[in-house]
Amino acid sequence: MAKRYAAIWFPHLITDRIVRRLPELRGQPFVLAAPEHGRMVIRAASLKAEQCGVRTGMAIADARAALPGLQVIDHIPGLEQKLLCWLAEWCLRFTPIAGIDLPDGLLLDTSGCAHLWGGEERYLGDILAKLRQLGFDCRGGMADTIGAAWAISRYGRTGCIIAPGEQLQAIMPLPPAALRLSSNITEKLQKLGLYEIGNFTKMPRRALHRRFGQQLISRLDQALGQEFEPLQPVQPVQPYAERLPCPEPIRTATGIEIALQQLLEMLCRRLAAEEKGLRRAVFKSYRIDGNVQQITIGTSRPSHNVAHLFRLFDIRISSLEPDLGFELFLLEAPVVESATAAQEALWHSNSVNDDKLAELVDRLVCRLGDRSVFRYLPAEHYWPERSARAAASLDEKPATEWRVDLPRPVHLLPKPEPVEVAVPLPDYPPMHFRYNGMLHRVRKADGPERIEQEWWLQRGEYRDYYAVEDEAGRRYWLFRSGHYGATTPRWFLHGFFA
Amino acid sequence: MSYTELQVTTNFSFLRGGSHPEEIVEQAIALGYKEIGITDRNTLAGIVRAHAAARGRDIRIIVGCRLDLADGPSLLAYPADKNAYARLSELLSVGNLRTEKGKCVLYREDVYLLSEGIRFIAVPPPLLNASYRFDADFTQALEAYKEALGNRLYLAANRSYQANDNKRLYRLAQLSERLGIPLVATNDVHYHIPERRELQDVLTCIREKCTIHEAGFRLHQNAERYLKPQKEMLRLFAQYPEAIANTQEIAAASLFSLDSLEYVYPEEICSEGRKPQEELVLRTWEGAAERFGNNIPDKVAAQIREELTFIERKNYASYFLTVYDFVRFARERNILCQGRGSAANSVVCYCLGITSVDPTKFRLLFARFMSDARDEAPDIDVDFEHERREEVMQYIFEKYGRDRAAIVATVTQVHSKGAIRDVGKAMGLSQDAISRLSGSVFWFSEDINREKIIENGFNPDDAHLKKTMELTHQYIGFPRQLGQHTGGFVITREKLFHLCPILNARMENRTCIEWNKDDIETLGFLKVDVLALGMLTCIRKAFDLAKEHYGKELSIAEINKTEEPAVYEMISHADTVGVFQIESRAQMSMLPRLRPKCFYDLVIEVAIVRPGPIQGDMVHPYLRRRTNKEPVTYPSKELEEILGRTLGVPLFQEQAMEIAIVAAGFTPAEADQLRRSMATFKAKGMVSRFEKKLVEGMVSRGYDETFAKRVFRQLEGFGSYGFPESHAASFALLVYVSSWIKCYYPDVFACALLNSMPMGFYQPAQIVIDARKHGVEMREVDVNYSGWDNTLEEGTSGRYHAVRLGFRQISGLKENDMQLLLAARQQLFQSVAQLSDAGVPAAALEKLADADAFRSLGLDRRQALWEVSALADKPGGMFTGQSPEGAGEIGIELPAMSLSEHVVHDYAALALSLKAHPVSFVRSRLAVLNITPANELSGLKNGMPVRVAGLILVRQRPGTAKGVCFITIEDETGCANLVVWQQTFDKYRKEIIQSALLMVEGTLQIEGEVIHVVATKCFNLSVLLRELGTPAGEEPPLMTTSRADEKEADDQSYKTRDKRVQQAAQGELFFGGRNFR
Repeated sequence: MAKRYAAIWFPHLITDRIVRRLPELRGQPFVLAAPEHGRMVIRAASLKAEQCGVRTGMAIADARAALPGLQVIDHIPGLEQKLLCWLAEWCLRFTPIAGIDLPDGLLLDTSGCAHLWGGEERYLGDILAKLRQLGFDCRGGMADTIGAAWAISRYGRTGCIIAPGEQLQAIMPLPPAALRLSSNITEKLQKLGLYEIGNFTKMPRRALHRRFGQQLISRLDQALGQEFEPLQPVQPVQPYAERLPCPEPIRTATGIEIALQQLLEMLCRRLAAEEKGLRRAVFKSYRIDGNVQQITIGTSRPSHNVAHLFRLFDIRISSLEPDLGFELFLLEAPVVESATAAQEALWHSNSVNDDKLAELVDRLVCRLGDRSVFRYLPAEHYWPERSARAAASLDEKPATEWRVDLPRPVHLLPKPEPVEVAVPLPDYPPMHFRYNGMLHRVRKADGPERIEQEWWLQRGEYRDYYAVEDEAGRRYWLFRSGHYGATTPRWFLHGFFA
Repeated sequence: MSYTELQVTTNFSFLRGGSHPEEIVEQAIALGYKEIGITDRNTLAGIVRAHAAARGRDIRIIVGCRLDLADGPSLLAYPADKNAYARLSELLSVGNLRTEKGKCVLYREDVYLLSEGIRFIAVPPPLLNASYRFDADFTQALEAYKEALGNRLYLAANRSYQANDNKRLYRLAQLSERLGIPLVATNDVHYHIPERRELQDVLTCIREKCTIHEAGFRLHQNAERYLKPQKEMLRLFAQYPEAIANTQEIAAASLFSLDSLEYVYPEEICSEGRKPQEELVLRTWEGAAERFGNNIPDKVAAQIREELTFIERKNYASYFLTVYDFVRFARERNILCQGRGSAANSVVCYCLGITSVDPTKFRLLFARFMSDARDEAPDIDVDFEHERREEVMQYIFEKYGRDRAAIVATVTQVHSKGAIRDVGKAMGLSQDAISRLSGSVFWFSEDINREKIIENGFNPDDAHLKKTMELTHQYIGFPRQLGQHTGGFVITREKLFHLCPILNARMENRTCIEWNKDDIETLGFLKVDVLALGMLTCIRKAFDLAKEHYGKELSIAEINKTEEPAVYEMISHADTVGVFQIESRAQMSMLPRLRPKCFYDLVIEVAIVRPGPIQGDMVHPYLRRRTNKEPVTYPSKELEEILGRTLGVPLFQEQAMEIAIVAAGFTPAEADQLRRSMATFKAKGMVSRFEKKLVEGMVSRGYDETFAKRVFRQLEGFGSYGFPESHAASFALLVYVSSWIKCYYPDVFACALLNSMPMGFYQPAQIVIDARKHGVEMREVDVNYSGWDNTLEEGTSGRYHAVRLGFRQISGLKENDMQLLLAARQQLFQSVAQLSDAGVPAAALEKLADADAFRSLGLDRRQALWEVSALADKPGGMFTGQSPEGAGEIGIELPAMSLSEHVVHDYAALALSLKAHPVSFVRSRLAVLNITPANELSGLKNGMPVRVAGLILVRQRPGTAKGVCFITIEDETGCANLVVWQQTFDKYRKEIIQSALLMVEGTLQIEGEVIHVVATKCFNLSVLLRELGTPAGEEPPLMTTSRADEKEADDQSYKTRDKRVQQAAQGELFFGGRNFR
């Protein structure tokens, strides 16, 4: 069967995507920019910005000079590729073979597809119309070759479909740039006055080759169908989900457990094969009457351990209400991270790296609730309340060391508690203090350590911290808020040393 | 008991100290300190500032330095006397010279070698280790220090409210006792008041290249490193009274003062063992005989004698001889030079050849320099040809040695844009937010203004932003780095590094000192400025050409002997494209009004179009008086003498300063301080203090208040662009010389000017157009006739030679490649292959083809390119010279090129075209729009509505013109000057900035020969130019939407078929217009 190809061009790919996300930008002049040699350079400009004379490659400063209200959004590297992949996958409804054409196009192998839509014009029209509904400005072209389809989609003036075998006539009036040539070649052709492809198609190939190299010849041949050009198709990624329909409604806990076990095995097999682990899983149960119930679990490190995951779900299975029975179970893993299978240590397994700890934490969290188990890491802050923070996962590495050169209490109160004190002199610790109704006489003390506010986060008085020991040998971390010259300095207890 | 702070880090420890040295000194005085030690890190750069601030006040600066060593704990060093200081300075020089600029690498051994007479304080690490001890390497280093430095070593103790202060002090006391090193209390001061901690934190972030949120423990944990009152320090160290007492011991022993540094001139300036004065007298009379012949006029002789006695009295002979030495060298090497400055305009300097301004020709400016009352150092700047100045500099380095001659530093200060960028980044603002914020100071105002901030989409009341702005304000004016002065030299008799640390400059073979010109002046060192001036290069080249082609021996002094009316006539008609100084738009519109008649008029012309007189609103009064529209009056009798030569209107910097002295009761020193405080915009508070003093002083002496305010504003203007009369005179000389050449030898002038590019105000295209207007034939670049430079050829007609454009006009062409071409050009080239055989690379040949330089081979650019591009498989090796395979491909016809296409490509390759002016191709279409050609404007009447169009040459928004934009456009008939008021500018900003071909509708303003069009509407006609690049009759293809495209045609979604066409449309091909402030 004769090959047919379609090329789709998105003149404003990136900015159209931004508008999809931020509809308020529709019709606004805005650009995406990224730093280059220390200045911000425009990588994509919206239609409106282009109409105002802003072009890709301009520096932001220059563009702003012409258009002071220009909005600038940070460019995300690799966005084109991601976006085109997504669009290519979307196009799979029109053809089984779709490929991306960086930076701003798609290539479709449409051989034998168009008649299903009632002809090529309606086929292409449908694709373009649907893409526009998605919010993407686009143009398309169809021909026997990728090269010709590409050319007509970008530079076509009259039609966008080149009838089979007519690519030469069709591309003759187009500019050389339509052949996808590098800029130095198009520039040279331009200088020589060869403004149209037709100007040189009849020249001897030798003469062309000597002057412009293989690229021109190759591209010309590709467009005319004398040289084959492959198309690299995309494949859609499968979401991590498994389904289990039940022939009979399931009403018993055992039945649910069996279903869960099966689903977990299916999912985990796949995860293990891909060296992935899930951080979160949702078990959805569809009841015959249309009601849907679900259990969500989370893990503190990526896991594909069926037994462990099963126990996490198992704790909560009793919360499901089967009533008349479930007819479908679905297991989804919305958060998946890579989990390289580590080689098991023969002995001395490090407790933090031990899966057992992680699994214990998961079970505790499952039973006690989300905010019941914490791991703390040191943070680079002098202000005591901010000097430690909850870690996001068990594997998180601390950015800094716990400080051992400063006196810091083992137990820091989340909120300093006011105490009554008797103080002899400025810069001296209190003689005694009353905490929770108990009077503590200070026997030994060290300090002061003055910690200033982190002015970029909050304003207020500094604190003078003292480490004190009472008669019973217990040690406390006290501080005075503010300068000792102030009218009534307030004292607080902030922590306990061991 | 009293306490002296010995450890102070100022902001000359870049990105560490949070206060200016001046602020530290002021605060110390306020707190009642009698002495204070300044210890910046491995530098003495800030010490002179502190010294100057302390001068005359009740405080003494203890000169010191913190030595950060590569192999040991830091040491604070305090020299006891001049010799010890010399060693400290040498030590720093050693550290500086061994590494690249901006760094200083020192080792213990260096310190031991040069430690005599210096007292040291060892700085312990800030924290104890986990077992509450100092690390062993510190104690070991301390032992080694003790052994080497003996009882000159102390140990610093701080109490900055860290944790474990008590334990740390206890450990220090233990160490001190064990090793016998006395403790000294210091507070490691980083800022003068605790409130500066925030800025210091931000500086830390800038230094560490992080944001304040990421900075963490890199910041200090509290604000205790400020200059504390003595009482507080005594309280903190109550347990260690000896640590306080030791500060006094060190202070009492470190008595070195910068005032004791003496500057001594080098000996080499005298010959045969003469004393400097004798040598100067000898050289002066020798020179006089040369200049005036054997019969020196009595008046001149008397003047010379008077000057010489004055120089002897002031002991300036060495200075004059030093300058004379450079000038003599330059003359020997045939390098043009010209001195300027108050002392330069003396008869002595004229005789020595330092200046060519003939002091007998007009009022002797030296008279005012020679007043004994003004005890200011003589000031001579010497300009050299910019292409050859390096020779002079290397001569100086070679003659005096790198250890005796060095370039003065410039302390680069943080300006508002840089400050916003740095502080914004440290405060965690995004790149975009920062550039928008700094956009708020866009174009001229140095202030950050509230409306602009709102306009740029910020909330000025946001706390984080407010803090950012506040810190930015504090940061503006901070020293950021030590740069190299443009050419200020210090030369000494002894080793220079005994006076001041020296360091490597960024450029190879140059050394700098750490102090800038103000510091040097404070200490009474003398410097000579060796500057570069492009116009001197141009004049030199013109002289060479005149000699070669006209057989004329010209010299600056020779030309200056006459005052040719023809030259002044030319100047009066503003026919001054390319002439030194008076070629700018503003100057050109002033010339027909001022109509200079004599040399002094040029001096005024040079000085009048400057921010000073403009801001002081002195220009129009002067013009009115000059044209007799206003009587010449003087505000008072005493000012008549000062203002006499400028018709009662102060125009020069000296005049304004003299007014401050005579009329407002300033002392000369105060007046000088005033001028200087204007220059450094940081001292905002100081300026308003002076304003009050000046205005009140003048009003109390009976002057008009508005006049007083004008004088002040003028001083403000002078601050940033000072232009004293003596400099104006030297410049005026070059103005006259360049005008003279342009008037009599326009061919020589154009050729020399093009060969000295880039310089001045205009692009080569305008210079070429102007030369043709003066009847000079211009010839195209050609591989068979051009040299690298532009050259003169025998003219076919007229009085002048023809100018053959050189290869240097072709953008992107390398000189080396063209030298190959020239070497191979024994006879005329017959084919492109011959050039290629000569070794000229294909890329260069392509550029030559683009420039249409193959006409003498019978090829136009397109045919030439076709030939050149076929050279890739040219036979090589033993087949070299044979015609390539497939040569003479027949039957291939390239499309012919239209004239307009050629012009477009000429502009692309050469930035000019001799074939036609681009606008001429669209004239018929412009005529339809009723657009008047530029040369017909003068025939119209003042006030008429008019339309003009042309390529934008220059856009200018001077800071002095309140937002008015001046635009010069050019069509094929000439230039038109546009005035765009702020309101119109804001409305048509886009058109003005983006257009290449701008059309303006407005009213005509004719005042004598000065013609302006005041714009009311602007249009971008660049689209017309786009069509020039395509073959005639063919529309540039706009894409129409295809059939499958049901959407309404959106004409935006086309790809222009050619980058060049796109460029033309955007005006990039034609000069984008140059922007001046």
